[in-house]
Amino acid sequence: MSDSAESPTEPQKEDSRPTTDDSAANDEKKKIDVLLKAVGDTPIMKTKKWAVDRGRTVQSLSQFISRFLKLDANEQLFIYVNQAFAPSPDQEVGALFDCFGSDGKLVLHYCKSQAWG
Amino acid sequence: MSLCMQEETFHHCCQHLLQLSQQLRDGWSWESAQGCLEGYLKKTVVRSAVIKSNHVWDKTETTSDSASHTSCHPHEILNFKQLLNVFYIVFSVCILHIYLTYILYLHSVCSDLYNLFLQSFPDASCDDDTITSKIADDDDDDDEVHIESEDICQVLQYEYHILFSCSYSTPVLYFRAFTQEGRSLLLEEVWNSVHPNFRQRLQNSPLSTISQEEHPLLGQPFFKIHPCRTEEFMRPVLQAAHDQSRPVNFVLTWLSVVGPLVGLDVPLKYSILLQSEANTRDSESD
Repeated sequence: MSDSAESPTEPQKEDSRPTTDDSAANDEKKKIDVLLKAVGDTPIMKTKKWAVDRGRTVQSLSQFISRFLKLDANEQLFIYVNQAFAPSPDQEVGALFDCFGSDGKLVLHYCKSQAWG
Repeated sequence: MSLCMQEETFHHCCQHLLQLSQQLRDGWSWESAQGCLEGYLKKTVVRSAVIKSNHVWDKTETTSDSASHTSCHPHEILNFKQLLNVFYIVFSVCILHIYLTYILYLHSVCSDLYNLFLQSFPDASCDDDTITSKIADDDDDDDEVHIESEDICQVLQYEYHILFSCSYSTPVLYFRAFTQEGRSLLLEEVWNSVHPNFRQRLQNSPLSTISQEEHPLLGQPFFKIHPCRTEEFMRPVLQAAHDQSRPVNFVLTWLSVVGPLVGLDVPLKYSILLQSEANTRDSESD
């Protein structure tokens, strides 16, 4: 499971078409499609669809999006599922996909805000 | 949809959360304050957390200045023979010192030669080289500043309370933590135990995120997560739910955002249950 924030290479595939890595025989290494939707006045990512490892945590995904959008240090990124709740940072995206995935992809809404205080 | 909730809505959401908690055996309970209708959700969790503590030792200097001092002994002048004896003793000590230094020098030369010899057998000598180099590094660090951070993993008892803030018209999370010996955590220790995902944001303004306050109903010192910006991060969720005409439990959604900050896990099963409830409701209305 690659959790290092210094390795954004894995999800950085410019996918404009749905890709499921069928060549990976092992289920654990299978990537899932994640669709990122901006909420509010949060900048919209050029590439919205990413193929992400199942074992990647929400925290590492959040860090990747923050770096991609070049957010300030005092801005917090929030990720929501189904617009109903925020997954725990240690939650694996694979588990989220299994529970809340639809049409072969997991839709995550992200929003930046001055979260606390 | 109003982003500010009424207290009645808060009670309704709490009761709903309690129902789900009982189904999942998650441990939430409702506590009423004595003599009034107000109450709060309470949950106690025992978990292990890493409390970082940084220790900085001052530079230890072994200067000769502090130790050296000239001593004047206003004794009577030693006669010549006694002087000569002293001279002989000092001279012999110097010779001995030189001799020992030479012996040590020879020893270091021999050990270097031995290491060079061993390098022709790399498999056997690697460990020895690393050990000797490590010892050499430690000797060099004697006079430098030591900064060590100790990660102490402790078993802590957390108590979480969810109250309604009339000022902000939002729920507020109060909590306190104790060690196994019964010592309550300091504010700095709480800051240090925040999830790494939020630590950078916390470091910018820790006091405006988590601070210590008096519990509104119990009057005891608790830690509190500031609710000023609750509306800000709840807005997108509530707006989307309103657009899709889907009911959302404000307290549960809010808890899923603030809980992980202080180690309170809101299991995915809550959301799965909510989703199945919504699906059941939709199928019944059809």
